[in-house]
Amino acid sequence: MAVIQYIVDLGASVMLPIVIFIIGLLLRQGVGKSLRSGITIGIGFIGIGLVVDLLNQNLGPAAQSMADNFNLGLSVVDLGWPGTAPMAWASSMGLIAIPIAIAVNIIMILLRMTKVVNVDIWNIWHMAFTGAIVYVATGNFALGIVGVIVHAIIAYKLGDMFGQVTDKYFGLEGIAIPHGTSSYMGVFATPINDLLDRIPGINKINIDGEKIEQKMGPFGEPTIIGAILGFIIGLLAGYEVGQALQLAIQMAAVMVLMPMVVKLIMQGLLPISDAAKKMLDKRFSGSNFRIGLDPALLLGDSQVISASLLFVPLTIVIAALVPGNQVLPFGDLATIGFFVAMAVAIHKGNLFRTLISGSVIMFVTIWISNQMINVQTKLGQNVGLVDAGDRVSSLDQAGSPITYLLTKGLSVEMGIGFSIILVVYVFCFWYTFRKYKKQTLYVEDDQE
Amino acid sequence: MKKNVIVACGGAVATSTVAAEKIRELLKREGIDADVSQYRVNELESKKDNADLIVTTARVTKDLGVPVIHGVAFISGIGVEKTEQQILDVLRK
Repeated sequence: MAVIQYIVDLGASVMLPIVIFIIGLLLRQGVGKSLRSGITIGIGFIGIGLVVDLLNQNLGPAAQSMADNFNLGLSVVDLGWPGTAPMAWASSMGLIAIPIAIAVNIIMILLRMTKVVNVDIWNIWHMAFTGAIVYVATGNFALGIVGVIVHAIIAYKLGDMFGQVTDKYFGLEGIAIPHGTSSYMGVFATPINDLLDRIPGINKINIDGEKIEQKMGPFGEPTIIGAILGFIIGLLAGYEVGQALQLAIQMAAVMVLMPMVVKLIMQGLLPISDAAKKMLDKRFSGSNFRIGLDPALLLGDSQVISASLLFVPLTIVIAALVPGNQVLPFGDLATIGFFVAMAVAIHKGNLFRTLISGSVIMFVTIWISNQMINVQTKLGQNVGLVDAGDRVSSLDQAGSPITYLLTKGLSVEMGIGFSIILVVYVFCFWYTFRKYKKQTLYVEDDQE
Repeated sequence: MKKNVIVACGGAVATSTVAAEKIRELLKREGIDADVSQYRVNELESKKDNADLIVTTARVTKDLGVPVIHGVAFISGIGVEKTEQQILDVLRK
C-alpha cells in the first residue's frame, strides 16, 4: 500500500502514465506503445498545468481589478471544459469511471433500458467529474461512485431521448449523442419551444443565421475571441494600452494552446478507447442499437455555428446579469455551441428561438457554476492543477444541473437554489421524456 | 509533394484526435507523405487555404472550396474502409 500511496503523492503527471502503461500492457498493446501512451498522457497533464497557470496568473488579476473597478463580481476565471476534463481524469474517480460507465451501459442494454452503445470513452470525463466533485463535497468515496453511476444512467437515457432529433435534424442516423452540455441542457429547449408555439405573433418569428456566419465568422475564431476579450478586460482592469495588448496576446495563446495540450491526454487514452470500442462493437452492433458519440459531431451545422457566434458576447452579458455571479466566462467561449447545439435542433434551426432557450440555458449554467466555485477549486488543488490562492470555475461541467443536484443532494446541502433547480430541471427532463415516448419530440414540417 | 490534411471537430481535442491518428496510420501504410493537423470547425475558414483535404467529424454544411470528407466513420467504426478510400482518392489525384 505504501508504494501506491507514494506514486499517488507524486501527482497525476506521474501516476497517470504508470497506470496507462500498465493498462496498455494488460490490453496487449506491447511495451513500446504502452510506454508512449503513458508518457503522452503525462505530457498532456504537464502542458495543461502550464496553460492553466498562464490563464490564472494573467487573466486572474485582471479580472479581479476589473471586478473592483466596476463593482462587477466577475473575478473567478472559467477554465472551460479543456481545463476541467484533465481535472476529472487526474482525480481519484478518473480512470475507474471508465469501467464503471461501461458496466452501467452494458447492464442497461441487457435490461433493455437503453439502445445506446457508448463507444465514446473521452466523454466519460463528464461522469468522472461529477463523481470527483461529489467525493470532494461529501468526503465519501462510495458516494462519488454513486455520482458516476447516476450520471451515466441519465446520460445514456438522454442519448435515447434525443435520438429522433439527432436522426432527423443532424442526419446522424444510428448515432446517439448522450454526452455533455448539448444533451443535458437540451431538455430546457423542449418546453420553451412549445411555449413559444402558443404565443400568437411570436410563434411566426423565424431568423435564419446563415448571414450571421458570413459576416461575423472571423469573430467566432478562438484566437480572435481570446485576443479581443483579453484586450477589453485589460482596459477595464485599468491597464495601460500596452499592458492590455500583452494580456490580449496571452489570452489568444491560451485559446490556441489549450486544445493542443489536452489532445495529448486523449492520445494517451486511445489504447483504452480502442479496446473498449472493439469489445462493445463485437457484442452490441446492428440496427437495434445506437452508437453513442461525442457532441462535437453537432458543431458543424451552420445554424449551430451562427448561434455559437451570438452566444460568445451574450454569455458574458448574462454572466454580468446573474445575481451574485463571480464566474467570468472564458475557457468555454470557443466552444459555446456545445451548450445550445441540441436546442438549435429542437427549434429546427430557428435562431430566434435558440436565442431565447439558449439564454435560459446559459443563465442556469452560470448560476450553478457560481455555486460550485469552492468545490471545483478544491478539486483543482487536490490534483495539482490550481495553485493555492487561485479560484477557478467552469461552465462545462461545473455548471451542469446533474452534477449540481447530485453534489448538493448527496452532501445534504439543500437550500432554495437546490429546490429551484431540482423542480425546473426535473420538469424539463420529464416534459422532454414524455414527448420522446410519444414520438413527438421532432416532427418534420409538411411544408415550409 | 507533401500533402496538407486538416482534421477538425468541435474542440480539436477528442474526436479529431481519434480521426487524425487513424488518418496518419492510413497515409503511412499507403506511403503518402502528408502533414495532418487538428483544428476546431470554427477555425476552418482561416486555415483552409493551404489544405488539400479537410476531414471533419462534425457534418459541415458550408462549401469551403476544399474537398471535405465526413470522417464520422473513424469514430463510430462503421464504414471506415469507404471513408479511407475517399481520402486516398482525393490525395492521389
